[in-house]
Amino acid sequence: MYLRAIRNDVLRSKAISITTMLFVAAAAMLVALAATLVVNLSGAIDALMQRAQTPHFMQMHVGDLDRARLDAFAEAHASVADHQVLEFLNIDGAQFVFGSRSLAGSVQDNGLTVQSESFDFLLDLDGEVISVKDGEIYVPLTYLQDGSARIGERATVAGHTMTVAGPLRDSQMQPLLSSSKRFLVSHDDFEAIRPSGRVEYLIEFRLHDLAALSAFETAYTNAGLEANGPTLTYPLFRTVNGLADGLMIAVLLLVSALVIAIAFLCIRFTLLAKIEDDYREIGVMKAIGLRVSDIKRIYLAQYAALAAVGGLVGYALSFLFQGALLENIRLYLGESANASLAPVLGLVGVALVFVAIVAYVNGVLGRFRKVAPADAIRFGNAPKASPGRRRLRLTMNGLLGTNAFLGLQDVLARRNLYATMLVVLVLAAFIIIVPRNLHHTIASESFVSYMGVGDVDLRIDVTQAEDAAARVAEVATAIGNDADVARFVVLTTKAYRASLDDGSEGRITAELGDHSMFPITYASGRAPSSDDEIALSVMQASDLGKGVGDVLSLTIAGRERALTVSGTYSDVTNGGKTAKATFADETAEPMRSVIGAELTDPALLDAKAAEYAARFEFAKVSDLDEFIQQTYGSTIGAIGVASYAAIGVAVATTVLITLLFMRMLVAKDRHAIAVMKAFGFTNSDIRAQYLARSAFVLVIGILVGTLLANTLGEALAGAVIASFGANSFAFVVDPAFAYLWSPLLMLLATLIATVAGTWDAGRIRVAENLRE
Amino acid sequence: MNTMIIAENVVKSFGQGTERRNVLDGVSVDIAAGDFVAIMGPSGSGKSTLLFALSGMDAVDGGRVVFDGVDLSQLSDDALADVRRRRMGFVFQQPTLLRNLSVLDNIILPSMRDGRKRARQIREKARILMETTGIAELEARDVTQASGGQLQRVGICRALMSDPAVIFGDEPTGALNSTASNEIMALLADIHRSGTTIVLVTHDPKVATRAERVLFILDGRITGEHLAGAHDASREDLRVREGALSGWLTEMGI
Repeated sequence: MYLRAIRNDVLRSKAISITTMLFVAAAAMLVALAATLVVNLSGAIDALMQRAQTPHFMQMHVGDLDRARLDAFAEAHASVADHQVLEFLNIDGAQFVFGSRSLAGSVQDNGLTVQSESFDFLLDLDGEVISVKDGEIYVPLTYLQDGSARIGERATVAGHTMTVAGPLRDSQMQPLLSSSKRFLVSHDDFEAIRPSGRVEYLIEFRLHDLAALSAFETAYTNAGLEANGPTLTYPLFRTVNGLADGLMIAVLLLVSALVIAIAFLCIRFTLLAKIEDDYREIGVMKAIGLRVSDIKRIYLAQYAALAAVGGLVGYALSFLFQGALLENIRLYLGESANASLAPVLGLVGVALVFVAIVAYVNGVLGRFRKVAPADAIRFGNAPKASPGRRRLRLTMNGLLGTNAFLGLQDVLARRNLYATMLVVLVLAAFIIIVPRNLHHTIASESFVSYMGVGDVDLRIDVTQAEDAAARVAEVATAIGNDADVARFVVLTTKAYRASLDDGSEGRITAELGDHSMFPITYASGRAPSSDDEIALSVMQASDLGKGVGDVLSLTIAGRERALTVSGTYSDVTNGGKTAKATFADETAEPMRSVIGAELTDPALLDAKAAEYAARFEFAKVSDLDEFIQQTYGSTIGAIGVASYAAIGVAVATTVLITLLFMRMLVAKDRHAIAVMKAFGFTNSDIRAQYLARSAFVLVIGILVGTLLANTLGEALAGAVIASFGANSFAFVVDPAFAYLWSPLLMLLATLIATVAGTWDAGRIRVAENLRE
Repeated sequence: MNTMIIAENVVKSFGQGTERRNVLDGVSVDIAAGDFVAIMGPSGSGKSTLLFALSGMDAVDGGRVVFDGVDLSQLSDDALADVRRRRMGFVFQQPTLLRNLSVLDNIILPSMRDGRKRARQIREKARILMETTGIAELEARDVTQASGGQLQRVGICRALMSDPAVIFGDEPTGALNSTASNEIMALLADIHRSGTTIVLVTHDPKVATRAERVLFILDGRITGEHLAGAHDASREDLRVREGALSGWLTEMGI
């Protein structure tokens, strides 16, 4: 019986059944894909980090190194399972030449290393520890992917010639967000090139139990061991490895949530229309003694069938697309150890979608309880709203044309019905505006203020070196004497010990200099303006449990000084934990310096960048756009593509849902349309009334959607950006798009869909519908 | 008298292929201005179809219908709508009112289509009509709050708003009890007396008694015509006319 009822119902409303099924299929596919990606991503990261034996704690350092003291420290701490010091031979990008191309334009710290003997292995694409021969160089996968290097071609590093033997997977420095890249060479080649580079030490520890990491970090800091470079830990490596694909999963989940919402709306609309149509039958069924649960089952069966078929189709489709989405994970991270779990989890996801739909339908069908058999049989429909609720009267209408008035009146009188279309339009406006605003914000000039640097034209990085101070002074002098430089600032990062509230000591890296010249955006408070103030990055502040106005004690030049926190700011650089201060200190060793400059004529940028790059080979010279492009270019590009895709999806959804909605509305209103035609309303009048209905709903939809996009959407986008370490996110709205093009686009889509959806109204024959 | 409607050899078919049959099979009839015509016939004989054809609400498949000198088959949908709105009035068995609108709004709706600037006059006219038809108290009410007889009066008020040349009625009393039915027919008779042509379909001899001409239709053809002439609407007159009509209907096989 159910089967026949289902078949009849589906055949009777083919378009809406197929659309509902398509949305369910899309939702199921996206959920299954997200589940598959989650399993593969987490599994692949685990597998990679396990095979590579990624260090649990790594301290970078330049300069003298007391190995005996390090060994003694490791020996004295029971939590240490193994430790080692690896050398990273930092070489200027221009010295890496593959074929005829060099890495001169790279903003990464590129360097050579040899294969480790105990842990932190560099792996090949099969996940095996690479055994490198003399004359071979293994290149970070990223460079092979972007075409900087090709397998088999000649590689010259600082004049030493080798052959590119293959790609390497690096469990800690692989992502673009990680600022260093390791190339693997043999011992002999390394030694041959050593004089051309600058050695940085990677002091690495593996612990017996990762839970002891925090205590170990404190112990290392308190021991006063070598620590003039960044400190990185296992959880951070894990996060950075998963960030890019994690974002994709987050976007997939967000989109699937929206698609599920639209599927729910489709179901709600058709179900309510159906209940209205079948009101008398429902009353009769109740009158003859069928239980509500029995009646519900008949309706539930149809939607369960739609959801089941849609779910299975979606699940099958997910296999079609997962190859492409998993490609990135497989390439950069390798196979997941528990990949076989993915199809099961995908199916669980689809099952959840199915259960959610059935539960939702069951909830909507709860309305059956309110059907009074006597009323249903006598009147054939639900009791109408009380007349007192109706405020609009044609007799009082002085503003709108009669057709526009009838459109508005209908929307208000049947607002529950139009709520479906309204929600779809709100979602569509939201989906169009949020990704676009996010893209516009990230791509905007002011976004650099989230990177811990003000809006400078030229950025010159001088990293840790024994004679760094002299080098910085040399660059500063040159810049100061350059007539093309309007103004510049030198910011030097140094490390200090901080006394924490719990009595222990921590380590803080503070960037010293004038922070007012190229100001950044502060999440709270302001830039430090006096020697006894310090500003903390949001992550650092949260780590220390400090806020604006709190006092932080730092040991400066051997003396403990209390600094007041003047502000907090977002920073996506150097692991997100940084500080800014203005005090002068000549005692601490500089870790790195950044010289930011503004040119008198921005057109000179390329020439100046080239000039300083050639003049100061030890420095990394980049214009800010290039810096952003290389660090975040792919992310910005991906979000740009996603924003256009979102516009496409939203417009297509708007057209589809409006079209179906209007078709259903016309079918539902056949009698009313016939009545109006009988009394002399033309087809154009009828169409104008439907256009007015769409337009009213659209106006509210756009207003609410835009409002939500700029509030809730901003918060959501802020959460995405926060995953990069930037807080206090605010949209840089593209007003022309958000307030002109987007509404126009939606208006056009809705109006076209309304005209197409109401075309049948012209074919409604008065006589057929009014003949008694 | 001027001829208001001329139907010439009108054919209207329904169904497809071998199932197709002529519901109107070459109907020809003339209706003069000021006529009161009732169309009678058994169920399925084509009486409502003829009414819809005469009013231009249904396109004919053969022959033609000329309304006030204009061939309706030559008019576009929109031009037909204009003719219906400005020259015709309709009263159906069911009230055919829009549930979202109040009683008054339903009455003025067609007139507001192109007379928004005359809104005040339109409202006043509607009030007078409501007063005349005895439903003044319904003005601001919801259509669901009125009885069947009241709703039919609302329909008549709406039909009269454009001062139509013709009022078409499709079983206008079909859903009413005998008291309400008599009241509505008395109202239509008054309207007719004021000069409006009335064409209605009915299966009820009591209703048809009010008409001056009764056409009998069977299997899509007009098979008989009963000329009752004008009446004074007195009980006695109506009883005599009803007797004569019944006799004629018996002759026609009913």
